[in-house]
Amino acid sequence: MPLKKLKTDKADALTLEWVLHVKNYRLTLDKNHCVGCQICTLACPKEAIKLEKQPKTDGEKAKKAKVDMDLAKCNFCGICDVLCPYGAMKVTVNGKHALSVVEKESFPQLIRDIQADASKLPRGVECREICPLDLIKVTWQTADGKPVEDIDLLTDEERKGLKVKIDIEKDRCPCCRICEFKCPDGVLQVRKFINGKILIHPEKCPKGCTDCLDVCPIPGALYLSDDAKKVYPNEVFCVYCGACKAVCPVDDALELKRTSITHASLRSGAWNKALERLTSPVEVTKELKAKGSQRARDSVEKRLGWKAM
Amino acid sequence: MVRKERKKREPRKVRIGVFVCQCGSNISSVIDVEDLTTYAKTLPNVVHAENMNYPCSRQGQEEIKDAIKKKNLTRVVVAGCSPRLYEPTFQRCVSQADLNPWLFEMANIREFSSWCHPSTPKEATEKAKETVRMAVAKAKLLEPLQPIELPMTKKVMIIGGGIAGINAALDLADMGYKVYVVEKTESIGGYMALLDKTFPTLDCSICIEGPKMVDVGRHPNIEILSFADILKVEGYVGNFKVKIRKNPRYVIAKNCTGCGECRDACPIEYPNPSDMNMGVRKAISVPFDQAVPLIYTINRDYCIECYKCVDACGAREAINFDQKPEEIEVNVGAIVVSVGYDMYNPEDMENYGYGKYSNVFTALELERLLLAAGPTGGKVIRASDGQKPHSVAFIQCVGSRDVNKYEYCSGFCCMYTLKHAVMLKEKYKDAIQIYVLYTDMRSGFKGYEEFFNRAQKAGINFVRVKLENRRVTEDPETKNLTVYGETEDGKPVEVEADMVVLANAAIPRNTALGLAEMLGIPVGKDGFFKECQPKIRPTDTEIPGIFLAGACGGLKDIPYSVSQGSAAAAQAASVLGRESWAVEPIVARVNEDLCSGCRVCESVCGYHAINVEKMGDKELAKVAEGLCRGCGICSSACPMDAISMPNYTDTQVVAQVRAVLGRGEKS
Ligand SMILES: Cc1cc2nc3c(=O)[nH]c(=O)nc-3n(C[C@H](O)[C@H](O)[C@H](O)COP(=O)(O)OP(=O)(O)OC[C@H]3O[C@@H](n4cnc5c(N)ncnc54)[C@H](O)[C@@H]3O)c2cc1C
Repeated sequence: MPLKKLKTDKADALTLEWVLHVKNYRLTLDKNHCVGCQICTLACPKEAIKLEKQPKTDGEKAKKAKVDMDLAKCNFCGICDVLCPYGAMKVTVNGKHALSVVEKESFPQLIRDIQADASKLPRGVECREICPLDLIKVTWQTADGKPVEDIDLLTDEERKGLKVKIDIEKDRCPCCRICEFKCPDGVLQVRKFINGKILIHPEKCPKGCTDCLDVCPIPGALYLSDDAKKVYPNEVFCVYCGACKAVCPVDDALELKRTSITHASLRSGAWNKALERLTSPVEVTKELKAKGSQRARDSVEKRLGWKAM
Repeated sequence: MVRKERKKREPRKVRIGVFVCQCGSNISSVIDVEDLTTYAKTLPNVVHAENMNYPCSRQGQEEIKDAIKKKNLTRVVVAGCSPRLYEPTFQRCVSQADLNPWLFEMANIREFSSWCHPSTPKEATEKAKETVRMAVAKAKLLEPLQPIELPMTKKVMIIGGGIAGINAALDLADMGYKVYVVEKTESIGGYMALLDKTFPTLDCSICIEGPKMVDVGRHPNIEILSFADILKVEGYVGNFKVKIRKNPRYVIAKNCTGCGECRDACPIEYPNPSDMNMGVRKAISVPFDQAVPLIYTINRDYCIECYKCVDACGAREAINFDQKPEEIEVNVGAIVVSVGYDMYNPEDMENYGYGKYSNVFTALELERLLLAAGPTGGKVIRASDGQKPHSVAFIQCVGSRDVNKYEYCSGFCCMYTLKHAVMLKEKYKDAIQIYVLYTDMRSGFKGYEEFFNRAQKAGINFVRVKLENRRVTEDPETKNLTVYGETEDGKPVEVEADMVVLANAAIPRNTALGLAEMLGIPVGKDGFFKECQPKIRPTDTEIPGIFLAGACGGLKDIPYSVSQGSAAAAQAASVLGRESWAVEPIVARVNEDLCSGCRVCESVCGYHAINVEKMGDKELAKVAEGLCRGCGICSSACPMDAISMPNYTDTQVVAQVRAVLGRGEKS
């Protein structure tokens, strides 16, 4: 059977596939989880991923940008899978999740620093709806280990000795910290893995435009001014994914800069390049300096023709 | 200058001898040779005429030499057969009698008279007289010429390192010539390096080819230029200039030890063409373990530049991401072309379901499944479910012997199908049913018919079906297949099988045409390179110094390709062994006073042999004597009448025309 390269576009998912005689490589974009941000597009070493702005109909909200993947360029390396803040990309080999770039230590994994201390969770506190992406599940168990269906139905007596468990779908968590703020002190602690800076120049915004706000997946990361005329960022919650930037209709109304990405420590040219595209050459040389990787730094500097600080 | 002096020293009147050949009864049964001889004696300047049975025989040649001496002949005309066959013989003969070989002329009265007019002997004889009259008229005006000597570069290039090229290279290198092997892919070996076993002996293919590949790699006289493309070929026998691009591997050849640690560190896989894309290789890897030269290559189409390979390579420092393509020029005296063949992709013959049904394979795919080092570790399994098939149907002549596709027979498919069928049957015995649906079973050559017998005895079912009305269908649930066909007399044939294997046609290399153009050698109607003469000069091309070997000149199995490799090597050696190469002096001559540099000659020359160059303050046509084939097209195209062909000058041709029109000599 000849090699087949397939691309299937369904309502829920966009899939690329290589079907070999006894091996099957597949990259699936989960359209329900994808927010149309810039991360995969910038990170892809083969420039196989493109963002397409969606046309807007008057009076309606802006639509998130659409991710398209190029079957001829994709090599199923899985870097998009590793870096997607929302866990929307998945590479499988023969049906099994496979990230050989991580296995072979050729690309670092993101570090999602999310601490949950269930013991600090006061009884009776409703935790279920604090995550805008619905990634947190709080479950209670009776002292003898039986799951509690609805905590509100228990008597005070019954509530004694309950055990609580917090499960977080970390792979899909962009670390916006909303939960940390919403939850009582100390239960959840989240550190962002992408740091950066976001600025909106309201004077440059088209009149009445709220496109960025329309597509922002994190409630509160962008907000409307009191007179409901302008959009402002809130750096506390912004995850610097760039979904807003991807739809902004004017050139420099929205400035988004990523400065660092928290990741496992290892040497990788592919990482350096991804980082350079996601942040900037300056940030890369900084990171290389911190790592003491003289050779790699020299090569970046040689290419760019300037000396790092 | 030299020519003029010679003319001065030749005050004698032109004395022509005419020798009429009887050619057994080939000529004499139609033409009245006595009458012709008597007639020849009456022609101007003819001082001697005789007829004899075979002037080409040794005795005949002696008689001609005698006559030259006794009658003081200054020109010789033989009225016999075609100059293409015997002119060299007679030229040698007259030169032995101290006559310049170009003072010889041939009149073809066999092909032009006796053979084509057998029922009208009288008219045939008249025509023969006219032919002789023309030859005599021209002979009178012939001028003595000197052969042109070209220097010889004692090096040779083999283009294509398959089994044919490997044999040519080793033979020539052993004879002491410097050999360049230019191979397009990363490794030499060709198809044979991809095969599991070889018919009819079923010995392991790479086990017998591998040592030869290693020999090529190690031979002090051989330089392999692999992963390289031929860009341009210039020059002529003894003096070819070949421009080659060495494509970057991003691995420094001399530093790479072939250890494979980089491959182990590499995270990226891509479909391996050597496995017919059924298996994968790493973004830094070799196409197969026995590759020669054993140098790793990074495929930048897939590489993500993580530099894990750089770390793994460590102090060897063999990896260089900045490598650029490198162009080199190589001078050689002779070239052997051995670029092999491609395989036809049968997806467009929809009736076979290849590409549509997952359990339909090509023969080469099956070959890779049989191979222990192949993508399945030697397990023949279906693509649909990974299960071993219980029945396999082989379909022959898929694209071959089909006037709508490839009219020729691909030559080796019958035998490799027998090989595959026997290997499967002898391994799985009663657990497998095998059907071979064939049009004719072609098992010529040593040991092949015996192998066919072995297959029949092994319990393989042979079913003869015609090319027309063949069809494969699939059960969408089980993915099992049914093959429909018809016997020669129209009876339906239906075979159920878990797996179908197609013997798809082997076809000319897709690069063959481009290469042919660069080399100036023709390709035939079938798309394969054309030999100079298919029977007696099967490895010669029309271009002196360029030879063919193996499947690129028409499909051949391994033993045949090996023999051709050695044959081409011997041919090349017979060129390289000379101190210089003598060319016929019948090459275009440019009268520089008349030439206007208009380039018409340049545009009509099919051999790139005439080019306008700047000479002093004039632009003048210049002839590359090694390339000129003496066809004369430039001479007739030249608007200034500045180009002439020695011994085909206007004066000479006009004399012939006047002679045939009975106008006699121009006064
Ligand atoms: C499925 C299958 C099974 C077979 N089994 C057998 C068998 O058992 N026994 C047998 O006798 N025969 C068998 N054959 C036939 C065998 O493959 C050929 O006889 C043999 O490969 C011919 O050798 P070659 O050197 O002429 O050509 P090739 O093997 O095609 O080698 C040509 C070489 O030239 C290189 N090349 C191509 N173009 C260029 C270029 N432009 N510049 C430089 N290099 C170039 C190629 O990369 C290649 O290395 C089989 C064939 C098939 C398809």
